[in-house]
Amino acid sequence: MKRRDFLAAASSCLLPLTINGFGIQSPALWQSMSISGTPVAYGDRVLVLIYLNGGNDGLNTVIPLNQLAAYNDLRANIAIPENRILRLIDNTTMGLHPAMTGLRDLSNDGKLSIVHSVGYANPSQSHARSATIWMTGSDTTQPTPTGWVGRYLDNRFPGYPTNYPSAQIKSPLAIQIGSLTSMALLGNRQSMGMAISDPNTFQQLVGSAPTQPPGDAHCCDAGELISFVRQQQGLAPSYASEIKRAADAGRNLAAYPPSTEQNELAEQLKVVARLIHGGLQTKIYFVSMGGFDSHAGQVDSSDTTKGHHADLLGKLSAAITSFQQDLKQQGTEDKVVGMTFSEFGRRANSNASRGTDHGMAAPVFVFGSSVHHRTIGAVPNLSALSGNAANRDVPMQVDFRQIYADVLNDWFGTDRTLTNTLLYREFPTISLFSEIVETVASGSWTNPATWSVGRLPVASDYVTINTGHTITVSQTVTVKNVKLQGKIQFTGSYSIKLTS
Amino acid sequence: MSILDTYTQPLTAQTAAHLLRRATVGPTQREIAVFTGLSATQAVRQLSDSSESLLSPAVAIDSSLSTTVGQPFLTRPYSDTSNDLYLTSVKYWWLALMTTQKTPVNLLDKLTLFWQNHFVVTSDVVSDHRFINRYLLLLRNNALGSFETLLTEISKDPAMLCYLNGNENEKGRPNENYARELQEIYTVGVTDTDGTENYSEDDVKAAARVLTGWAYTNYETAGTTSIDPAFDISKHDATDKAFSSNYNNTVISSRPGTPNSFATTGEAELGALVTMLLKHASTPRFICRKLYRWYVNPTITPAIETDIIGPLATFFASPENNYAIRPVLEKLLTSQAFFSNDTIGTIIKSPIELVLGALRFFEQPVPDMVTDTNAFRNYFTYAYDAMRSMEFEVLNQPGEFGYEPYYQTGYSRTWLTSVTVAERNKFTDTLVERSVGVKPGFSLGIDLLSWVRTLQSNFDSMSVMPAITCEQVLASFTENLFAVNLSQSQRDFLIDTIMMKNAPRSSWITEWNAFRSASNDAGKRTLVMGRLESLMKYLLRMAEYQVY
Repeated sequence: MKRRDFLAAASSCLLPLTINGFGIQSPALWQSMSISGTPVAYGDRVLVLIYLNGGNDGLNTVIPLNQLAAYNDLRANIAIPENRILRLIDNTTMGLHPAMTGLRDLSNDGKLSIVHSVGYANPSQSHARSATIWMTGSDTTQPTPTGWVGRYLDNRFPGYPTNYPSAQIKSPLAIQIGSLTSMALLGNRQSMGMAISDPNTFQQLVGSAPTQPPGDAHCCDAGELISFVRQQQGLAPSYASEIKRAADAGRNLAAYPPSTEQNELAEQLKVVARLIHGGLQTKIYFVSMGGFDSHAGQVDSSDTTKGHHADLLGKLSAAITSFQQDLKQQGTEDKVVGMTFSEFGRRANSNASRGTDHGMAAPVFVFGSSVHHRTIGAVPNLSALSGNAANRDVPMQVDFRQIYADVLNDWFGTDRTLTNTLLYREFPTISLFSEIVETVASGSWTNPATWSVGRLPVASDYVTINTGHTITVSQTVTVKNVKLQGKIQFTGSYSIKLTS
Repeated sequence: MSILDTYTQPLTAQTAAHLLRRATVGPTQREIAVFTGLSATQAVRQLSDSSESLLSPAVAIDSSLSTTVGQPFLTRPYSDTSNDLYLTSVKYWWLALMTTQKTPVNLLDKLTLFWQNHFVVTSDVVSDHRFINRYLLLLRNNALGSFETLLTEISKDPAMLCYLNGNENEKGRPNENYARELQEIYTVGVTDTDGTENYSEDDVKAAARVLTGWAYTNYETAGTTSIDPAFDISKHDATDKAFSSNYNNTVISSRPGTPNSFATTGEAELGALVTMLLKHASTPRFICRKLYRWYVNPTITPAIETDIIGPLATFFASPENNYAIRPVLEKLLTSQAFFSNDTIGTIIKSPIELVLGALRFFEQPVPDMVTDTNAFRNYFTYAYDAMRSMEFEVLNQPGEFGYEPYYQTGYSRTWLTSVTVAERNKFTDTLVERSVGVKPGFSLGIDLLSWVRTLQSNFDSMSVMPAITCEQVLASFTENLFAVNLSQSQRDFLIDTIMMKNAPRSSWITEWNAFRSASNDAGKRTLVMGRLESLMKYLLRMAEYQVY
């Protein structure tokens, strides 16, 4: 944007606009701040999905430091004591569970985005149904039979598995560590992912593809099923040598939790890091850990910072931290992002058995060197929960598909129109991968809903007022810089101060 | 005429085998022969009549501090040191019931497996072997009986009270875990076919309150011998529980039982809850749909919903049937839909059908648990581990919804991934290689040479009887092996490419006769065995073998 454009736009405002230091930047800066500023081509980018099976208790994961009285009131028998909550840089509203020291450090390093209260409208509290909604990226009322990742890959690699692998696409499109593949990876015809339990022995395990007898299709449903089985039988052997090559070439450079700790997630991420290091082109990795359905005994009776949930969060934190360190040492940090998700959060009220029943929205962690905001959205307001006195739930602020949309658009460089098709409609950005905080609607500057990040811009944020939006400023505000494509209306003698 | 009408043609080997593959973990050749010629009604009645067998309890499959190998243990005082061993013994005992079929072959064990995957309890969570044993017996004893009884009993079963936290459910701040699954996965289901919600979140909360106060006793408590459930009135919420319009606004009030005791108060409210759940129009449909997917076809089209699920559900819940399970299952298994060509071969075998099915089909005798315990242990350790590698861990589903391939999009296709396909091949290869020893003189697997020798009359006398042909060998190996028929081009391929490796078919005659003339000659034997092994390994790796 040119300086005179900004001035012209500014002069159209109703009231005087003052700019501190006149920090309007050259067009190059805006370009460099977009995702294209990172050296990794879209095609080389990797997404790691971490499924926390069972419904993770969000309020004991990211704890509302600013509302501890209400927090203790809701869940006295499982509440984490104030002095044990991990503090984050520049954030007095929330802290982390004491078991997550690794994620605290990652947040302080700017490599963790905590997205608050992620969920969807009309939430289901059934494990299967809600997990299906998250995996398929569908509405509660419109279940679809394909996974969101599966649809993306199906569109990007049409025809799979026919003619795959190819000279250009040698690697599996998606890999799930384990022996099953998730619904998230399900394409229109079949899973777009491949299960790999142990990359060292995979080639030996799957052997060579069977010689198929000449044209002999069976009829009917059985015939279709038999064709499916044949295809599955041939697929794994055709990828085996490339997986072996990557597994042999790749190494883990960072230390992971020792196997004695039985950190299943760390073991899985260790394999992922090794395959990435070995040069596998796979775009999506799916890993998971179970045990989050904590209806009873989620904390120890003598110490609420210990127990089942603390063990899980400790493992999660240690696994992600080791993985991120590994990527850094490999030099692949800027081509990988990861995200956690769980089918739902848990009830804000605890039950009598030191546990929590099924709930609604919960925080999501997005990690990697390419995330730009330590927090997106605000700590849930405990005095504005849904439900009645004994059964309070955290309402959603961010639709989970907003995260998917940012991943597809800004991480994988998908055409926006296509993303909207893959996710069945358009979802506003939450600026996961952009330094720029942008408006998503006209409205007051001080309304969190005006901004892509679900909170007010802070002094370190670049801000874009998008075309067609009119933002009302009723107090003096400070940001790094402003790009004005829409309009700003000042209701009085206020200004926008720029720090750059 | 309806596709739910009885199938009236006498069973052929193919349809008899189809029935047995679906109603059991897999048939033997002898059982297929016995059932061939029966009517569907006779066959299914026989399968359910045979189901009333008395069971000998499990015995220890190894020695522990308190028991020696082969001794019963279920009535012994609980001890942590022996528990793991006993738990494994119970699991293997259950697998043995499915595999042995001591009484004439029956449908009870496969149906018990169905209920175990419906009312899931896992031994990872509930590890007291007595709880698991009691739970399995409850399922088995009621599998064919009244669904009302089964539902009532499972709701206060100690293992279930442990698995879904009924034990922790008390007034004031109830634990909703069981109350939700009771509606979502045991009875009404989340939504009806038209997408209407079958129950509300408030119904979950109300049902939880009805069930407050139930508890298990003596879970993993050293020295104890009883595990009966208990009802603690002081933890019971005695206020009214109002349900939504989904349940006709039913109100369940605290009611004294007859006789008026604490326990019967709990029973009375549970009874009222079960009655309410069974009155919900979605309950019989939900159960019938699940039975259809398990026994007939995972795909339910709108036509199937109308023509089968609807009428079957109406019959299930009708006053004259009153939720009896056996008549519903018999109706389904004798229906024209069940025997249709659109049904045969439409499910991918679960690991249990692949593994135990193969052990039965190839007549691998189950060693006696009491008198041949070490061999018994080796036999089922192998089967258990093989199934686990294929993502079927007995009594350890990944969650309360059961094994994914019974509910996830794709259904039975979900069994197959790069890893599990390979594990399936590994298992069937092992059967051909006979590399797993059970006891001296008994390795698991198929004795191909003996098999083919039985095809050859006058083995030693080539002048009297010409050699059996490749075609005869293939015909014998594939008899009742697959649910679908092989085409002629497949048969030619199997002989010329797989068995003969492009040598002329006449070479087989020469080689076989050479072996007949010198059956102790290792070289001649190896040549013949190589061909047979190559053929059988390929057959068992074929996609056709994975479906049933």
